[in-house]
Amino acid sequence: MHKVYIIGNPNVGKSTLFNSLTKSSEHTGNFHGVTVEEKHKIIKFKNEEYDFYDLPGMYSLNSFSYEEEVARDIAIKSQAERFMLIDANSLRKNLYLCLQFSELNIDYKILINNYDYFKKHKNNLNLNKLIEKLNINCKIINAKKIKIEDLDLKNDKKISNNSNFQKNLFNYNNYLSKYIKIIKNKYNFDEKTIIFALNGIYDNLNAEQINFIQSFYPEVILDRYKFIDEILENVVVIHKDFTYGLNKADKIILKPIVMTFGFILCFFASIYLIFFLIGPLIGEGLTLVINFILINPFMNFLYSITSNVWLIEFFSNGVFSSVLTVLSFLPQVVLLFIFLTMLEDSGLISRMAYVFDDFLSIFGLNGKAIYIMLLGLGCNTVSSLATRNMNEKNLRIKTILLNPYISCMARLPVFVVIASAFFGAKAYFIVTGLYLLGLIIALIVGYVLNKIILKTESNTLLLEFAPLRHIDFKHVLIVGRDNAIDMIKRIFFIVLGVGVIVWILSHTQFNLSYTSTITDSVLFFFADKISFLFAPIGLNSAGIVSGLIVGVMAKELLVSTFSISNNVSNIGALATSLTLCTSVVNFNFASAVSFLVFTLLYCPCVSNLAVIKKEVGTFWMIFSILSQFSIAYLLSFIVYNSLIQNFFYALIVVSIIMFILSISIYLIKKIRSKKLSCAFCSKNCKHKK
Amino acid sequence: MSLSDIKLNSLGVVKEINIIDNKIKIRLMELGLNVGTKILVKNRSIMKRTLLVVFNSSCFTLKENLAKEIVVNYA
Repeated sequence: MHKVYIIGNPNVGKSTLFNSLTKSSEHTGNFHGVTVEEKHKIIKFKNEEYDFYDLPGMYSLNSFSYEEEVARDIAIKSQAERFMLIDANSLRKNLYLCLQFSELNIDYKILINNYDYFKKHKNNLNLNKLIEKLNINCKIINAKKIKIEDLDLKNDKKISNNSNFQKNLFNYNNYLSKYIKIIKNKYNFDEKTIIFALNGIYDNLNAEQINFIQSFYPEVILDRYKFIDEILENVVVIHKDFTYGLNKADKIILKPIVMTFGFILCFFASIYLIFFLIGPLIGEGLTLVINFILINPFMNFLYSITSNVWLIEFFSNGVFSSVLTVLSFLPQVVLLFIFLTMLEDSGLISRMAYVFDDFLSIFGLNGKAIYIMLLGLGCNTVSSLATRNMNEKNLRIKTILLNPYISCMARLPVFVVIASAFFGAKAYFIVTGLYLLGLIIALIVGYVLNKIILKTESNTLLLEFAPLRHIDFKHVLIVGRDNAIDMIKRIFFIVLGVGVIVWILSHTQFNLSYTSTITDSVLFFFADKISFLFAPIGLNSAGIVSGLIVGVMAKELLVSTFSISNNVSNIGALATSLTLCTSVVNFNFASAVSFLVFTLLYCPCVSNLAVIKKEVGTFWMIFSILSQFSIAYLLSFIVYNSLIQNFFYALIVVSIIMFILSISIYLIKKIRSKKLSCAFCSKNCKHKK
Repeated sequence: MSLSDIKLNSLGVVKEINIIDNKIKIRLMELGLNVGTKILVKNRSIMKRTLLVVFNSSCFTLKENLAKEIVVNYA
């Protein structure tokens, strides 16, 4: 199969180009590092199959973060046709990467994007002269509108990694030869190894050899830019006042007060509009339509052909109620993703990262955490992956660990149902409060981790500003559509699948016979056995505990499990049933608040745990489970006991726990400082450096 | 004078880059911040720990501790 790689600097439009060519709708955004892993799609064109790859952006082959390393390893090691997408507005910086590929003798073509913006700002590019000087196929394109026919793709026979295509064009020997000679004299490496090492790719070299080669980097970089400047002379004329990324509006937007209050206002207004005004209206309409066209006719048909109670109960309660309760939140979820996409497309995220960087650095984080947190509002799993654009290991681990405290859209149905049941008109403030609580806990956890075990060694926010852009509503609608499809798939594969299992387990006795009394079921038997553990936080009911266990798989399953347990099929009925002491799952005011706090914090979902394990290892995955469960339990304990007038009891217990924790932290720090110190110094060891 | 000391919108020219962390120094150089590069501080965050700087026709965020290690001549 013919592989085609799209490579280039971050935020030049690679994913947009990939989407246009493959008619896909992969995640794009006006921010540095949106794509963190390779994506590919096979397209048939002129009777040949082309496997298009969208690679994460990289400024240089000398990788600075994990995402750059992923992109580089794929881009240089496989045989493929490569398209280097470069931004007309930052040609000089983009050509640096081109030059590195040429040094490695890797064949590629150049596509120039964002030319309209470049021209609009009174800049000039002589394309013919550029092609003449580079002797590489260059084409001006619009990544949003390009078609596969415009690419002039090669067929398989023409592709070879060993072509001398660039070698004579950039003629790297001119500026690399002196370094090659020195390194060759010292280590007797072959030329290819040296050139790869000068580009940050060291296969089978030891630390001393790497250090020696790295000592030439500053001079090599200067020589590369000197060469690029020679190419661009008389080719590009940049207007003297032109700065890519900054707009006139930035004079106002970048004022911390404007950004902070603007963001808070925008965020809370969006929550109100999405979750309490527009979302529920569409949700109710959707439920009515589904009931009218699908569920009612099906149930009428079922009643007409059978009187089997098991079968009728299975469909009405096990299948439809679990699906419907979650499906009614579809509009809210889609609207939330639309809001986040608009924020991403506008270019505001890099501005937020800059403005909030100082504040976040207090907690050992940096401005990029804003992007991770915003993504986390949609899905914690996706945002855990997005940490790949962070260059510091401890910073990345810390951001991954505190990410699940940010309330994702899966927790939304639980919050809305419980808050509506117990707080009525004040539900909005409760849900908003929960989002804030999640954020505050995340920051505290970040602060504590930074002080104890995950100190950020070099907190560098080196972020390129993306220009402010008009929102592309077509793109926003596509994102909305895709998220709706994703959620529907999730509902039919996970919610329905688990819902059916939960229903069977909650309607089956140990002798495998059907029971309509849920309290006699297998599920409740086991949940009842461990429910005593949740007594101190007011959740010692088998119904609630079984929901919490199932909720570890995906938080939206909490609502579907409760609707199965209480035998109800819509959100309104579920909310009412949770307040009745005759229901299988019910809460009083104190246990409801405790449950909300516990659900917000108690455990990352299974898919997020898998990502945490993959990205930072098993130790941190277990740490994440234990720390989140402990914090959730402790906070729910305080909340519950305070609400049932046991405040002093809660205070004493929490004080004892905090005392034990402080001693443990002190001991950990002492042990670590002993390990870090050397034979000459007790602390603040300078020899280590 | 270090980059962190120059006034907003005053054009400077990089004289020395004394950044201790080699990885960051190399990355800044790869982005086009070299000796002789024209540089402009466009904005400072509220606590002045992060600067918004312009070089190589692009706009980047830069931490104050790094800006202190960049020596700039400005008119």
